[in-house]
Amino acid sequence: MNDMTVPAQASSTGAPLNLSRRGFLGASLGALVLGVALPARQARAQQADAPAIKPGTRVNAFLEIRPDGTVLFRSPFMEGGQGIFTALAQIVGEELDVEPTQFVMEPAPPGPDYLLIGGMRFTGGSMSVRLSYDAMRRLGAAARQMLLQAAAVQLGVPLAELTTEPGRVVHAASGRSLAYGDLAGAAAALPVPENVTLRERADFRWIGKPFARLDIHAKSTGKARYAIDQTVDDMLYGAVQHARRLGMEPGDISNEAQVRAMPGVHSVHRLPGAVAVLANSWWRARRAAEALEVNWTEPASGTANAMPADFSTEGHLAKLKAMPGAGLDFETEGDAAAALAGATQKVEAVYDAPYLAHGQLEPSSALARFNADGTLELWLPNQAPEMFQADAAKVAGLSPDKVILHSQLLGGFFGRHFLYTTANAYPQAILLAKASGRPVKLLWSREEEFLRDALRPMAVARFRAGLDANGLPVAYEAVAVGEGPAGRWFGRKTDKVDSSSVEGIAGKPYAIPNRRIAQIHVDDPMIIGFWRSVGHSMNDFFSETFFDEMADAGKQDPYALRLRLLADKPRHKALLEAVADLSGGWKRGPFTAQDGTRRARGVAMASPFGSEVATIAEVSLRDGEVVVHDVWVAIDPGSIVNPAIINAQVNSAVALGLSSALFEEAVYAEGVPRARNYDGYPILPPDRMPKVHVRIVESGAPMGGIGEPGVPGVPPAVVNAASVLTGKRIRSLPLSKQRLSAGEG
Amino acid sequence: MELTINGQTHQVDIEPDTPLLWVLRDELGMTGTKYGCGLAQCGACTVLVHGQATRSCVTPVETVAGAKIMTIEAIETDPVGQKVVEAWVAQQVPQCGYCQSGQVMAATALLKQSARPTDEEIAGAMVNLCRCGTYNAIAAAVREAAQA
Amino acid sequence: MKKLAAFVVLAVLAVGAGYWFATRIPASPFDSVGSATAPLPVERGEYAARLADCVACHSTEGGKAFTGGLAMGTPLGTIFSTNITPDRETGIGGYTLAQFDNAVRRGVAPDGRRLYPAMPHPSYAKMSDDDVRALYDYFLHHVPAVRQENRPTTIAWPLNMRWPLAFWNLAFADAGSYRPAPAHDEIWNRGAYLVQGPGHCGSCHTPRGLALQEVALDERDPRFLSGALLDGWYAPSLRNDHNTGLGRWSEEDVATFLKDGRNQHGVVFGSMMEAFNNSTQFMTDGDLAAIARYLKSLPGDAARDGAPWSYQAAAAPAPAGPMASGARIYAARCGFCHGSDGRGRNEWISPLAGASSVLALENASVINITLNGSGRVVAAGVPDAYRMPALRDQLSDGEIADVLTFIRGSWGNRAASVTAEEVRTLRELTNAASSDPIVLQMR
Ligand code: FES
Ligand code: FES
Repeated sequence: MNDMTVPAQASSTGAPLNLSRRGFLGASLGALVLGVALPARQARAQQADAPAIKPGTRVNAFLEIRPDGTVLFRSPFMEGGQGIFTALAQIVGEELDVEPTQFVMEPAPPGPDYLLIGGMRFTGGSMSVRLSYDAMRRLGAAARQMLLQAAAVQLGVPLAELTTEPGRVVHAASGRSLAYGDLAGAAAALPVPENVTLRERADFRWIGKPFARLDIHAKSTGKARYAIDQTVDDMLYGAVQHARRLGMEPGDISNEAQVRAMPGVHSVHRLPGAVAVLANSWWRARRAAEALEVNWTEPASGTANAMPADFSTEGHLAKLKAMPGAGLDFETEGDAAAALAGATQKVEAVYDAPYLAHGQLEPSSALARFNADGTLELWLPNQAPEMFQADAAKVAGLSPDKVILHSQLLGGFFGRHFLYTTANAYPQAILLAKASGRPVKLLWSREEEFLRDALRPMAVARFRAGLDANGLPVAYEAVAVGEGPAGRWFGRKTDKVDSSSVEGIAGKPYAIPNRRIAQIHVDDPMIIGFWRSVGHSMNDFFSETFFDEMADAGKQDPYALRLRLLADKPRHKALLEAVADLSGGWKRGPFTAQDGTRRARGVAMASPFGSEVATIAEVSLRDGEVVVHDVWVAIDPGSIVNPAIINAQVNSAVALGLSSALFEEAVYAEGVPRARNYDGYPILPPDRMPKVHVRIVESGAPMGGIGEPGVPGVPPAVVNAASVLTGKRIRSLPLSKQRLSAGEG
Repeated sequence: MELTINGQTHQVDIEPDTPLLWVLRDELGMTGTKYGCGLAQCGACTVLVHGQATRSCVTPVETVAGAKIMTIEAIETDPVGQKVVEAWVAQQVPQCGYCQSGQVMAATALLKQSARPTDEEIAGAMVNLCRCGTYNAIAAAVREAAQA
Repeated sequence: MKKLAAFVVLAVLAVGAGYWFATRIPASPFDSVGSATAPLPVERGEYAARLADCVACHSTEGGKAFTGGLAMGTPLGTIFSTNITPDRETGIGGYTLAQFDNAVRRGVAPDGRRLYPAMPHPSYAKMSDDDVRALYDYFLHHVPAVRQENRPTTIAWPLNMRWPLAFWNLAFADAGSYRPAPAHDEIWNRGAYLVQGPGHCGSCHTPRGLALQEVALDERDPRFLSGALLDGWYAPSLRNDHNTGLGRWSEEDVATFLKDGRNQHGVVFGSMMEAFNNSTQFMTDGDLAAIARYLKSLPGDAARDGAPWSYQAAAAPAPAGPMASGARIYAARCGFCHGSDGRGRNEWISPLAGASSVLALENASVINITLNGSGRVVAAGVPDAYRMPALRDQLSDGEIADVLTFIRGSWGNRAASVTAEEVRTLRELTNAASSDPIVLQMR
């Protein structure tokens, strides 16, 4: 999603500010305060005749300073482990002059104040900090300014004589000071200042520092609550059995009466593409739902999203590989065709990568309750509250302002919790709450989660390169085949390439004079989605591994060749040298390690989400499998907020990238997935985790993303290293599909 | 049937093959123990039974009636658990946090059995999955807790 | 593939045989009976069909009941079970009772063609006239007719000729229905009838000879139900072998196992899971008690079985080698369910300590279930709470060999170690079990 353009109509899903939501009131009531929050009625009134709200400016929508000096902050972004709550507390706290530890973070409700990503809101694309950084700093500074103004009135001194220290306004001349908590009420009534001065970078106390995360203790003691943990009075538990293939619908249920009689069962329901059981515990609901013997009807022809009964991943791969044509140009430079024709040596290869599941550890769930006042309350995981609110309203037949959305802490997401048709639990929860007249907490079993996840698309890339007499690449042509998720969910123009299908093949920094990057679009029959680092997750594997093929064909060292082709790209060159330095100097191998294993190293670069990354991996072979010992990552996100979080995110990204390289592959036959749990879809276990070494380089370039950029370099670095040991190029993932053996070399 | 959890006894009336996990979460409202797979694959549901790491999703409740069960809710009342939590905070282990109840319980079980575990023992005991890839931080935290 | 067709050596057997013999229509006690008998209540024939587990082979998951089409691999090619709904053109709607009887008990189609012995007619031969009549009534009057063409076998000429099968029948199939043994009581005789006849337990549990025939069809031969290898599973001894058979089971244990799919000794898996899901759980308590009585009367063979197993706490393994690596893998992958003591969890999760499948000489079942996991046990319409995951994508051949070596050598178990090659062979021949509950519908 590097340069994902946000379509204009999406911003219209912004719902009116709804301050009456329970969580909001609950929070302020619990603290017994006069917070700065606007009373609900006032907020609505303002909404009706107020001019359009500029996202990220209204202090009161974000901040509530409580009498004890703690700050309740409504985060526009969802916390799912990427550390956004802590980063925002650092950023806002820096300007507000409140210790980040004093912040209590919660996800903001839907509302126009929070549409900080180009007029809309989602947590993804590693965009949260970089696209809100300025606004959040100004917000903190504005709030501080309001507190100063209130203090000036209260103390009867000129504003200019006042300063702040963390949590207090200080009048140095008289030695008096006032706590923020005591000023909050008065400050809230003031208009938000238009112009504020921001702190000098040099004066930062928290931004840029390895500040401890705010959520660690709660998450280490089981106190953090996720969607799956929410309960309300009188709630029923729901479980579903989905049709094995999308598009099939439930016909008669041969044992319905028998299932109704099972212990704890409340009722049996038919839903679009699923059947459900409500019961007094989830386990009972689940067993009963599994027991339902359903006659599924085949989809009528033309049913949207229907999964063909004969679909197989093997067949789809063959189809992508056989796709004819030259594709639609995306990025061109010079004349690749002519240069290829004139090249001394040609290199050609076809690469592929499989569908991937998100496999976040928390399976999907949603809790729905219809209230007496006609509102619908929802507790659910999501990456885009306004979009979910609008869709839930449609499902419930309500207007969006009647849908109160409590976004939840995410038990992992990696792109899982976007609004993918058919991949979310809440429409079912809404229908069940409606049908039963009771609140319903619906949870998908791990098996149902695997069945309905939106997958990282399968992709193929065809490469042709031409080398000159010195073995240097002079022509480069890459054609990606498949479909990108951005086009699927945000609209695709048939005459334009969806950047999410080529990012990582396109946008490479190497100086190859004649280049053509193109794409052949093929509709993917699967529900595809965003997966951490999106197109980069496979495309950098394709392009960076093919890079080594070019290097080998031209008898060049792959590291040296990269350096050479980056000669006029100082940022990239420095980063590549940084990672080599971090790893103790570049050596490709094979070499024998101290423990006697034969090892090799591979290198790869990637430019994802506004950041630059260079990766080196060291591997050996054991029993036909690749063992990765060390991964060195140099990352340049331009400028940073919290190096400790970056370090953790890179570790996490290495784990996910490695998992995809070694194990992951969603296989379908006859329209159904082979694996429905982690047994058949293994993810990286602890004993396969390499040591990870991170160096953060702050080049001062515009701020880039952090959550995703660590992923794409890992598969190519690992595969490039493995190829040194096997003496064979590996062009298909995951590596576990093949038994590898050491080659001659 | 009577269950002893975190030193308290609870009477539950439930089918004997119900997994302990769902008795904890739905009957007793103790949601710190998580559901990840229900198939003994991930360890998110780890609790201690007689001090041993036990995956509650594959533990029929009747088989632990009368046993001493400890869940994450009591972790800070346990001296070893307390040390583990401190190390978890010091090493800033959790990311999304979903697997971490189980990880902390597994670490606590290990340190109860072996106060100074070798790296190999740590690798042998810390086998729970973490999709966020906190494995290196987990290993560091277990080593730190063992030193404490 | 369900039952192995036993005809590898047919061509040899056929040499010099008379064609007349091989194509004649045998006599049936029903030759003079018309088909226009009054229909019986549906339950009568349905029960007989449950006993004989017709649905297991003559239906496919998702297909209409009894329309056939199930592929059965044989060494010579694939054969497909046939449509036995009363459709007149593609099914058995045109069969007289006598023709039906000849097919079921003698393996002869109305046109004289011999059925492949994938159809267990050597066992069905022992079925009573009453049960055959009930089956006929059921299929002709209570099963809905479905038009569905039978699929031809993929076996090529000359091995696809059916007439030589007659000689296989002559050689290996007993003639005549079950005759009660006067030395035993009625319950024992009922059990013997069910086991040998409709239940066709020997199809899986009795070793096969060179022509793939079951080497024994009743208790007169000590090899009857003494355990056999079939389709990547080892069906253990159903005799009173202390270690590898039912020696430590009570009659009640046996009946419970067949009724609930589980008891404290183990849980049904592999092909037995299918037999349970579709057949044994539907049997009456009386019939299950009879089966238990009969099986428990079959003596074990101490010489074959070895020293009697008794539980021993696991000793700490040597620091290196397969036992050590197996112990590690066991702790990480198996112990959470089967217990660090190998004792399982009551009847819900099988013990590995002392389990007959673990102690068996043949290691196919333990390898298979470790690679592929178990399908769902569906008892009284409710899928099981706990299933064995498939570990084929997580453990290498060597790791599976090590962990099975550890399991087969711990807690008093004294079975031979497992090699990576054995695991590799089975890995290539098998697939992971489905985690969907699969119940073949009869109505
Ligand atoms: S939920 Fe118990 S191991 Fe995954
Ligand atoms: S911290 Fe997210 S799964 Fe472990």
